[in-house]
Amino acid sequence: MTSAITASSLTKRYGRVRAVDAVSFDIQPGEIVGFLGPNGAGKTTTLRMLAGLVRPSTGSCSLLGSPVPGAGLREVGTMIEEPSFYPYLTGRGNLRHAAILHGGVPESRIDEVLGFVRMERAADKKVRAYSQGMRQRLALARALLWRPRVLLLDEPTNGLDPAGIAEVREALRTVAAEGVTVLVSSHILAEIEKLVERILAIDRGVLRYDGPLHGLLEAAGAGGVEYDIEATDGPALVAALERIGYAPVARGERGASVAIPSNQAAGLLARLGAEGVEVIEARRATATLEEAYLKLVGAEGRPS
Amino acid sequence: MSAVVDVVRAELFKAFRKRRFYALAGLYWVLLPVVALITAAVLDRNLTGSFADQNGTIVQVVQGFASPFGLARLALMAPALMSPTAYIIAVALFAGLFIGEERSHHMWKTTLAVQPARMAVLIGKLTSGMILLGLLLAGGLATASLAGAAGMLFLPTTFGGTWGSLVGLFALQWLHLLAALTLAYLLVFLVRSGTLGIILVIFLPALLEGLWAILNTLQQLEPLTRFNAVFQALRLKQAWEGLPQLFFTANLYAPARHPLGAFVRSTGASANADLGPIGNLLGQNLTLPHAALVMAGYTVVFGLWLAWVLHRRDIE
Ligand SMILES: Nc1ncnc2c1ncn2[C@@H]1O[C@H](COP(=O)(O)OP(=O)(O)OP(=O)(O)O)[C@@H](O)[C@H]1O
Ligand SMILES: [Mg+2]
Repeated sequence: MTSAITASSLTKRYGRVRAVDAVSFDIQPGEIVGFLGPNGAGKTTTLRMLAGLVRPSTGSCSLLGSPVPGAGLREVGTMIEEPSFYPYLTGRGNLRHAAILHGGVPESRIDEVLGFVRMERAADKKVRAYSQGMRQRLALARALLWRPRVLLLDEPTNGLDPAGIAEVREALRTVAAEGVTVLVSSHILAEIEKLVERILAIDRGVLRYDGPLHGLLEAAGAGGVEYDIEATDGPALVAALERIGYAPVARGERGASVAIPSNQAAGLLARLGAEGVEVIEARRATATLEEAYLKLVGAEGRPS
Repeated sequence: MSAVVDVVRAELFKAFRKRRFYALAGLYWVLLPVVALITAAVLDRNLTGSFADQNGTIVQVVQGFASPFGLARLALMAPALMSPTAYIIAVALFAGLFIGEERSHHMWKTTLAVQPARMAVLIGKLTSGMILLGLLLAGGLATASLAGAAGMLFLPTTFGGTWGSLVGLFALQWLHLLAALTLAYLLVFLVRSGTLGIILVIFLPALLEGLWAILNTLQQLEPLTRFNAVFQALRLKQAWEGLPQLFFTANLYAPARHPLGAFVRSTGASANADLGPIGNLLGQNLTLPHAALVMAGYTVVFGLWLAWVLHRRDIE
């Protein structure tokens, strides 16, 4: 099967700055991949190169098996940075312009994508009068117009309200379920965590992590996952954990925190049961994506 | 090919929602004939048979610019005789619409993501500009002729005239405008500020050519004979004096200014009014085939340049 998105030693230099430095990855059709990195890491530049807007200094990329720039670009929907529109046209007018410009988009598709991003009611207002969230939604609608097979999205939830963020997440899940490949950059890690299975993390132009989401979480846990456990009897819980060989810290009357090797997490509850402890709740306490991410980019996670 | 058609349809969709196109068309299609007819009517009512009217001069004059043919000819010439010319203003406005706006609204990244075939985008945008210019000119020819025909109801005018060659001149002038359009797109694309780009389009060629006229005058002054001597030595003098033959503006408006002599004659003035160095700048001594060839050359040069920069440019 040909890859949906391939980057080979993709490099972009601006003067002496290496905005993107020998980045390589390979994304299969149907994958949803999160693209993370601090401000100035090179996410937008990478997406621009994939979208054929910026020429790589060296290296190359391809979409759906054809080198960029090339035939693959017609199958791509993009949202790069701040979305732009003709302010004197309505939302619908902007979509119609894009539909004609791209070619081969039936008129009915315009209402379809407007409905998909819930913009039917604002569609006939001039874009000049749109809020940031409305512009963001309209841009997503435009990116979906010609039923692209690949979506390149740069911070698509920027400026959306919580309901809007959830809607965009659902929308992306829906299109991904139809086999569309999605590469989405974001700073809202909680969102990415809910949406993707795979993470690309870039820092100062260099790809620092490429792998499954849980891998990043585990790497951050570095052999230890922390659990907050609550049981009917706190001291008994602590004693049982110590007997198993861990070093728990008591929390309140009935709780305890404990760090265990991640490969032993699965059997923990069963073993506590065998020790006669009645567990009320056990929660994984560490290694949300955000922590994992901050660990990865470390104190250097500032604009470079 | 179909990508070019898509681009043209999309750009026209946009252009017809802009007021500037209608404003331009209104000025040219309505105002010009109305002013001409009113002027003719005033002349006709007040001067026919008066002391100024020797041997039916007034009838001739009115026929010259308010008959169907005369008015249509005026619609071709008048835009080229203003300063800056109405032709270049229209060209600059379309360059602003199709190229300048893409920058000012940050639309290049969107346009080229929606339609990644950059050469199709360029050719489509040029085609759209030419279609609008063609519409303006054809509409000008039509409305002027119609207004002239209406004028026959109350003016002593007739339908006669060399219509075939006039239509040919309209078509030729339209083709010449492709060179101006290409230059305008290039300047607006290269210059980061849209306004500055448009100002350059309107004044740059005239500025360069004016510079030539100034240098030419200086060169003839005594203290600058050394300048002259160098010129002679390098055998540049001939080239220098031949330069206006290749000037952009002079050749650009050659078709529109071609009927000027006939027009002037029709008003009874002596036919060979020599305009001197101004005549050079106005393209008085240029033949139409020469002008067409020069314009074709400019179009190719500007077109290739534009294609190259658009092909190479990183879109932010
Ligand atoms: N046109 C340009 N000229 C010079 N430097 C540039 C240009 N575009 C980007 N850069 C530099 O390239 C680096 C990467 O920028 P990029 O916009 O790709 O970062 P990003 O990961 O998208 O950041 P953010 O999260 O803030 O959007 C930055 O150091 C930036 O200053
Ligand atoms: Mg960015």
